[in-house]
Amino acid sequence: MDVTQQLAEFAAANSTAVLERPNPVITDAGLLAAFDNTPIDPEEYANLNPHVLALTLTSTQALISAIFTLPTKSTSSGPVVNLPTPVTLLPREKPLPKPKPPTKWERFAAAKGISHKKRDKDVWDDEKQEWVPRWGKGGKNREKEDQWLHEVKQGEGADLDPAKTARTERKARIAKNEKQHAANLSIAANAPKPISTLRDPTFKSSSSLSDSQEVKQSSRNKRKAELERSMLISKTSTASLGRYDQKIEGEPKVKGVKRKFEANVGTGGFEGEREKALGVLKRVESTVGKPKKAKKGGEGEEGGLNVRKAVRFASKQDGGKGRVVGKTGKGKRK
Amino acid sequence: MRPLTEEETKAVFEKLANYIGKNLVHLIDRDEDDAYCFRLHKDRVYYLPLPMLHLATSVARPNLVSLGTCFGKFSKSGKFKLGITCLDWLAKYAKYKVWIKPSGELPFLYGNHVAKAHMGRITEDTPEHQGVVVFNMGDVPLGFGVTARSTLDTRKLDPTGIIVFHQADVGEFLRDEDTMF
Repeated sequence: MDVTQQLAEFAAANSTAVLERPNPVITDAGLLAAFDNTPIDPEEYANLNPHVLALTLTSTQALISAIFTLPTKSTSSGPVVNLPTPVTLLPREKPLPKPKPPTKWERFAAAKGISHKKRDKDVWDDEKQEWVPRWGKGGKNREKEDQWLHEVKQGEGADLDPAKTARTERKARIAKNEKQHAANLSIAANAPKPISTLRDPTFKSSSSLSDSQEVKQSSRNKRKAELERSMLISKTSTASLGRYDQKIEGEPKVKGVKRKFEANVGTGGFEGEREKALGVLKRVESTVGKPKKAKKGGEGEEGGLNVRKAVRFASKQDGGKGRVVGKTGKGKRK
Repeated sequence: MRPLTEEETKAVFEKLANYIGKNLVHLIDRDEDDAYCFRLHKDRVYYLPLPMLHLATSVARPNLVSLGTCFGKFSKSGKFKLGITCLDWLAKYAKYKVWIKPSGELPFLYGNHVAKAHMGRITEDTPEHQGVVVFNMGDVPLGFGVTARSTLDTRKLDPTGIIVFHQADVGEFLRDEDTMF
């Protein structure tokens, strides 16, 4: 019996038609991706769906065969492949973080050409024969506070508590550091952004500006703006709103506030606009349909009773009998 | 042409809510393929389908005369006034309606208030000072106004008493043709 024909038939029925690609399909098993770089043939696109299906089949087969070449591990749930690290470089999702504004020390170090050496967090303790943290819990910096014996120097009073002095000194150092940190933050916040980012630390005239000078300048700018504002107000405080006043040289120009409206076709699209309108509608609905609040001393809502007025009326009519008066009777009024 | 600011939107919605109440949500919350929006152009508020908005963006502001349905305009003091051009939308969603007899149609269309003698029907439980849309007996919207009395109080009124204060009517299409759009 000759089964070759049957075998051939079976193979033909079960084989998948894979396209011949002039450029090989590039696979990246790490990303489970296949890239087909062959240029598009316009004639094939006349019959689009089967063609795309064939393309997909080709790429998928290339990817699967690439995965099957990888070394497998057999586990209880079947053979498992460890995917290699991806080869394709993907662009960074987020922009690079902005550089932090330099602290006072960093600016000084840059000006002086001091290279910063990072200190280890841990220091070697010779007595304990182990690494201890420089600061924090069990830190080296509170060694003096915790030691059981203190050396008293010549001339130091007997009532001096060395542990306490060491602690106050440490606390003072912390306070000083916090103050410096706050100053750095405020300088970074106050500094005009483009200047601080453009500033070249090696440029002498700008780097020679000390921080106190910078703070002074920013406060000076603030004062100047205030002064200009009050000047503008006083200039328009005449009967003619300053129209016939004499102009002074270098007088600041009045800049009004520009009205700002949303874009005609907004960034949020129709959805965003609808959400906004529905939000307004909710607020409108909460006010519409409800009776208006009775004015103080008014007649109250229609058909209702103005309790305040009624109480006053009743209490006036019969000498305060309508009102509950305190037990002493002191609050009685006629 | 620009979208309405929040205060403007509030003014428009408050005015519309007088007539169509909670149905106002149907003007805003619409299907994606039947989307409408409010736009302000030269102090007038227009209600227009979204595709029309995209077309109108290419028309320069001085050349743009009108677009969509004009709902009304903002007065110089920032109050919103409904115009007769919005009648079709109001009539579609109106909550309270007044029908007037054929004999009362002409007086109303000349800009007069609706007297009791001319009133054919009125929606049950209409409160006082409620925005209503005025129809003729053939259910053709003629205009809108504000009720002078609630439905209950109208029974006691004499035939010459005013039921609906006139606000706008379709006669304006002829009378105020020049300034309408």
